[in-house]
Amino acid sequence: MAKLPLFFGNYKKFPGFHVRKISVLFLLTVFTFLSSFGQQVEISGKVLEESSKATVIGATIKVKQKGPQTGTVSDAKGDFRLNVKSLPVTIVISSIGYKNQEIDVYEADPITIYLIEDQNRLSSVVVVGYGTQKRSDITGSVSTVSPGLLAQPSASFDNLLQGSVSGVVTTQSSNAPGSTASIRIRGGNSVNFGNDPLYVIDGFLVYNNNDNVNTGAGSGITVNALSTINPSDIESIDILKDASATAIYGARGANGVVIISTKKGKKGVNQVNYNGYYGTQRAAKKVQLLNASQWDQLQNDIYASVPVASRVGLNYFTDAQIAADAAGYDWQNAALKTGSVQNHDISISGGDEKSRYLISGNYFDQKGVVVSSDFQRYSGRINYERDVSKKFKVSTNAFGSRSTENKLTGSGYNSLNFNGAFPSLLLTSPRTPVYNTDGSYNTSTNSYLSTTTNPLQDIISTKNNTYLTRVLANVSGEYKIIPDLTLKVSGGTDISITKQNYYAPSYTNAGNSVSGSASVGMTQVNSWLNENTLTYDHDFNDKHFLNVLVGYTTQYQGGESVLANAQLFPNDISTYNNLASGTAQPLASSSFTSTTNSYLARINYSYKHKYNVTVSERADGASVLGANKKWGYFPSVGLSWNVNKEGFFKPFEKTISDLKIRLSAGQTGNSNVPPYSSLQSLGTSNYYFNNTLVTGLAPSQLENKNLGWETTTQFDAGIDLSLLNNKINLVLDGYYKKTTDLLLNVPLPLYTGYQSALENVGSVQNKGLELTVNTENIKTKNFSWRSTIVWATNANKILSLGKGVSNYFPLAPTGQVSPVIVAVGQPVGTFWGYSTNGLLTAEDIANGYPLLTGVSQTVGDQKYLTTSSAHKTITTVDKHYLGSAQPSFTGSFSNTFTYKQVDLTFFFQGSYGNKIFNLLQQQLELTKQTSNASASLLDRYSATNPNGTLPRATNAPVAQVIDRYIEDGSYLRLKNLTLSYSVPTKLISRIHARQLKVYVTGQNLLTITKYSGTDPEANFYTGDNTKQGIDFGVYPSSKTYLVGVSITL
Amino acid sequence: MKKISIILLLAGIALYSCNSLIEDPNSSISAGQFYKTQADAISSVSAVYSTLDSDPASDFPIYGRNLNLLTGNGSDDQIYAPSNTNPDVRALGTATYITSNDRVRKSWVQHYYGINRANIAIDNIPKIPLTQFSDTTIRLRLIRESKFIRALLYFNLVRLHGGVPLVLHDPTTVVVNQLLIGRTSKDSIYQQIISDLNDATNLPSTYSSSNIGRVTGGAAHVLLAKVYVTRKDWQNALVELKKVITSGSFAGVTGNYNYDLNPVFSQLFNPNYKNGVEHVFSAQFGTGAARSTNTLSSSNFNSFNPSIYPGDLPADSTLFQLFDASDTRRSTTFFSSLYNSATGKTVVFSTPANSRFAKFIDFTITPLTSQSLSKVNFPVIRYAEVLLLYAEVLNELNGGPTADAYKAINNVRARAHSLYSGNGIATAATYDLTSGLSQADFRDAVFNERRKEFIQEAQRWFDLVRRGVNQGTGNSYLIDALKKLPGKTGAFAPTANRDTLYPVPQVEIDLNPKLTQNPGW
Repeated sequence: MAKLPLFFGNYKKFPGFHVRKISVLFLLTVFTFLSSFGQQVEISGKVLEESSKATVIGATIKVKQKGPQTGTVSDAKGDFRLNVKSLPVTIVISSIGYKNQEIDVYEADPITIYLIEDQNRLSSVVVVGYGTQKRSDITGSVSTVSPGLLAQPSASFDNLLQGSVSGVVTTQSSNAPGSTASIRIRGGNSVNFGNDPLYVIDGFLVYNNNDNVNTGAGSGITVNALSTINPSDIESIDILKDASATAIYGARGANGVVIISTKKGKKGVNQVNYNGYYGTQRAAKKVQLLNASQWDQLQNDIYASVPVASRVGLNYFTDAQIAADAAGYDWQNAALKTGSVQNHDISISGGDEKSRYLISGNYFDQKGVVVSSDFQRYSGRINYERDVSKKFKVSTNAFGSRSTENKLTGSGYNSLNFNGAFPSLLLTSPRTPVYNTDGSYNTSTNSYLSTTTNPLQDIISTKNNTYLTRVLANVSGEYKIIPDLTLKVSGGTDISITKQNYYAPSYTNAGNSVSGSASVGMTQVNSWLNENTLTYDHDFNDKHFLNVLVGYTTQYQGGESVLANAQLFPNDISTYNNLASGTAQPLASSSFTSTTNSYLARINYSYKHKYNVTVSERADGASVLGANKKWGYFPSVGLSWNVNKEGFFKPFEKTISDLKIRLSAGQTGNSNVPPYSSLQSLGTSNYYFNNTLVTGLAPSQLENKNLGWETTTQFDAGIDLSLLNNKINLVLDGYYKKTTDLLLNVPLPLYTGYQSALENVGSVQNKGLELTVNTENIKTKNFSWRSTIVWATNANKILSLGKGVSNYFPLAPTGQVSPVIVAVGQPVGTFWGYSTNGLLTAEDIANGYPLLTGVSQTVGDQKYLTTSSAHKTITTVDKHYLGSAQPSFTGSFSNTFTYKQVDLTFFFQGSYGNKIFNLLQQQLELTKQTSNASASLLDRYSATNPNGTLPRATNAPVAQVIDRYIEDGSYLRLKNLTLSYSVPTKLISRIHARQLKVYVTGQNLLTITKYSGTDPEANFYTGDNTKQGIDFGVYPSSKTYLVGVSITL
Repeated sequence: MKKISIILLLAGIALYSCNSLIEDPNSSISAGQFYKTQADAISSVSAVYSTLDSDPASDFPIYGRNLNLLTGNGSDDQIYAPSNTNPDVRALGTATYITSNDRVRKSWVQHYYGINRANIAIDNIPKIPLTQFSDTTIRLRLIRESKFIRALLYFNLVRLHGGVPLVLHDPTTVVVNQLLIGRTSKDSIYQQIISDLNDATNLPSTYSSSNIGRVTGGAAHVLLAKVYVTRKDWQNALVELKKVITSGSFAGVTGNYNYDLNPVFSQLFNPNYKNGVEHVFSAQFGTGAARSTNTLSSSNFNSFNPSIYPGDLPADSTLFQLFDASDTRRSTTFFSSLYNSATGKTVVFSTPANSRFAKFIDFTITPLTSQSLSKVNFPVIRYAEVLLLYAEVLNELNGGPTADAYKAINNVRARAHSLYSGNGIATAATYDLTSGLSQADFRDAVFNERRKEFIQEAQRWFDLVRRGVNQGTGNSYLIDALKKLPGKTGAFAPTANRDTLYPVPQVEIDLNPKLTQNPGW
């Protein structure tokens, strides 16, 4: 809309149709044209950002002409003035991060130029490993997260990646404040170890390991180390997906690389920016349970199923009692509340001829939708850069943050027990009052409580908190030895200090039998990284563009932790702050160190930006691997061809603005095993002699000197296509990945005394397609509509698990059988169980239909299917494949509508074809005397309901993994809906503001899914690749409504 | 400026010299650093003992739970409890288990886990110079203790599974193919057990305070006798038994271990009386932080809510009805109501006939519901068994019961009725066995007494299998016993052989083509 049309003549640059000011300008233009002939003319105007309407400082305005360039930059108010020889003239406006614009100027009147964010144009610069590259020259698959998505309100940036880029599958496994998301780029390569991508934050390599911020004190879901970083500090996120892009990160590149660049100051005046929002949250969906009278009836059915002699002590209710109980007490509701979220960011940035700086501060506070769960963060950042001389530049990026998290107790992904605080509420009988009549918690010896304490009181009075302090800072110096040769040395450190406190008072379930239970843990992990690179960058005659990089880097990580526990406290006053007043329990301390040394080299060559080659090689040495296999070598090659720059392409130029073909191949590695995995180390196992504890020590694992790298070999082919003058941008990639020498715990013969040994065997493949389409659907003077579609499919398959092993079952929760299998030919994360076919009828029994062994089955019990007609009973051999947690495809659809000063964006995101094992439902359908059950049991078979579809109530149900609990987890979710209004610059200039924007946002407003549980994203065992898609009662997801304001002075 | 900047950069590089990639753990010990001192030797043997009642993955231990699942739930003493939500546990209680039963696998793993620890101790301790030891006898003692435990675990394995792979050294490779071996014959396993136990009989007869609970020479003699009885080698069994029966209590015995029956049966399971005169060898439990004991069979009780079932339940009322009312074993073994000190009320859990198990409830704990802190030891061998084995051996050797055979069993019966005063002397003969029984009737009486005496003590399945085939029915005693219970639906399996040996775990067979499965599976 910024282009001014010419009303007549044969100007070369007459692009498309424009509607702006045609009639008005007619006469004016003629006038200007005539009057300015032969004189110096001053043109002036203002540069604004299209979506926010904020002024753009430092945009370059140049006259398009042959010979010497004349130009200027926009000032602090976005204004510019430029003298030109004559009108009309074509000016080019450019600024990093925006699309270049060419405008034909016919008049001397001030003009307003709106710059549009550049999401995909080949002319832009992209951050790649150890440098930047013109997008046109790139050979690998690199995606940039759209700035619009990054601007969404969120506690942690990992949550923002959902649906952002094709091929990146992000699952928000728990909705608890501050919790972590699981991120997989192009599927999981590894079965057992490390599928998370590598994060590179301002050049610093961070492998996010949540274990480093967990001390073992307390319980509950893992603290998310990434939540320490303030999302508002992030300028851009680039995701490296194929081997050509990631191989420069060698051993740590196999799972993809997320490159995060934080905001920097820009040359120009000082700028102050504030962004704040406040919102409320409510649980999106509740678990449907029986009410009190329905529960009473269930109890009577259980009672009836027990032989008369065994009925002593069992619940039985008379009709009068059932009627009197009515709805009873809703324990779930008692713990749910309206949550809130608020965030305040303030930053000051600027720069002069020699320095650039940015200082920012952030406060984030979220109160969860369940009592006693919240998350707070304070963080600050300083980014500074100075040109010490023309040849020497120094810079630093530093941030520190302190976050506090209060969590619900209960199992995290690494615990296998169904003991979460929230599920304990679901299981409490609706017949039991939550409170006494005086408002105190009901802890009477009511036999319908499964514990002797009040589960709501347990949640509220148990302290379970984490204080996480993190500092990530690096400094670097760059020296131009000769103009084209730059030496860069950087050093940085990442320090995280975690303190966790836990106290269960004597009147809670966990503290009851031990008179109060406390634990305090502290862990400190520090990592430092030194990188030394030498870059040679030269173009020969504007034809041959060469960029050569060599480097040596070394990274060290060390951690120390202590954990102290005590029980048997005389009172509950000092909680975890005075362990000495209780009786000491096991103490623990530990430490580890690990080191990685690397040599790297890369050559980028481009011929006229038409033919591009990238060759890279990295050698990595990792201390965690076996003595014989410390070093791994990871090469890659990438080719690309900008077809549109060929002469023969001229005729298509108008339809196809850009066309690029990419091909790449390479290898990357994964060595993400814990330190000392290759050594024969001893473990403690203690015993008592004469009631006194003695320490026993014995080897706990076998030595493996040949423990080496997992290697991922990847091939990628891609097309980048822009149509109709960049109105449609399309990126399509296909890839094939094969990971060999998997780090697997290979089963040993059990008679060796060891169950498994860590070895490099087996292989996994991933193949897939990825598509991103950006379109500018409508573009008029006052209205625009832009869309982005992201779509990806990935097929994961285990090719081998080593010689003689066709499958194994990962460890199951205590008291249960494993619902998943790891099997050759199947994807990782495959459900394994029985198929069923309704309920057993009297006829079935009479006909000798095969019955499940281990229980006595009769009419109204589940009818299982055999896998072979030869089976006369149902045993575990009748279990079979029931689906996979891997989606057929994932995608997102985002839209931005702009009308004058108003923007409307909505963002849909979804997954199709993945299955979820509804373990919570399985547990809630167990008919027990001591716990509440799912409302689905209303449809159980009974004497009064012979057409019921669920099995009859019994007192001895065994939980089986059956097809009914393996549900379709497909969903489409309206993740974000934002309406914003930018106050016109004319109005806000009175308060000397450059930009003022107010917005309202709704998050997670709508979810379309067939899944019966509360959240189709539920993924209880977050980090465990073999147990994906298991819903074991997660923290409820919430709908959020918030209002925000953003102002720039 | 140029110089300064270059110096700065080079200094930056120099600061970070190349890091070593050699791992040198400082918070864990590697095998190369260990087995150097007396303390190391003692710790390595403590680790052997620990396998008896703890599991590396915090699963149920062998003694206290997992072995009981096979010998209790697998026999006619127990059925499944409603709280057995694990289908594999349920399958053992209903005799419907299959070769991939996870609990059978777990028991197998745990036995070999202990055997491996013993092998490591037996291999490494002799390499520690004798000068490292404060006392020249300690090194040999530690090796012999390890040999006893290795023999005990192999004895369990050979009875549960038949011939099993005989492993006597720690593996040195992680390559699966180099570790594959086949089954060793039953006889060879027994030879190894007997040889280890013979060595272990040289162990001390008693220990001083801090070592109480270690294996004694007497324990080795009794286990050896039990091995001979299992093999029907009555003569050798008699020789061993005579060495442990306290001299003076029976004519012709030479025992100097001072074992005797505890006159009060209930004290055998009271932690205040642990390692008493009757306890020949026990798996030691204690309350302490550094290990979990919460999977002891004492999950016999966990809540005053009668709707919450414990892990194990008696098969049916017939078990309870074996006892007469004055038998103190009945009230020690079962409960149907308990006093709740918190409320001052007695909670009724069931009718007396449908009682629950009480033996492993630690009644010294307040509140009683905190049974995860139970300190009750698990008796592997008690003197009552010595007497019952003696009665059995004499009956077999002499074509019928001798006077000493009667005296042995009657001592046990008298004690059960609080009529035993010590050193072989009963204060009354009220509950003595009918005199003049035939050999077969006396045999039945001994097995019946064993059943009543050792409920929940990991004996019943072994006893039923040891009796072999019942000539009257043509079935094994085990099958006959199971068939009497309607809950044991799988016991009617057509292959009679099947139920007298547990299968080799399926995963073991899948991994190792050299292993064969037991008949009938």
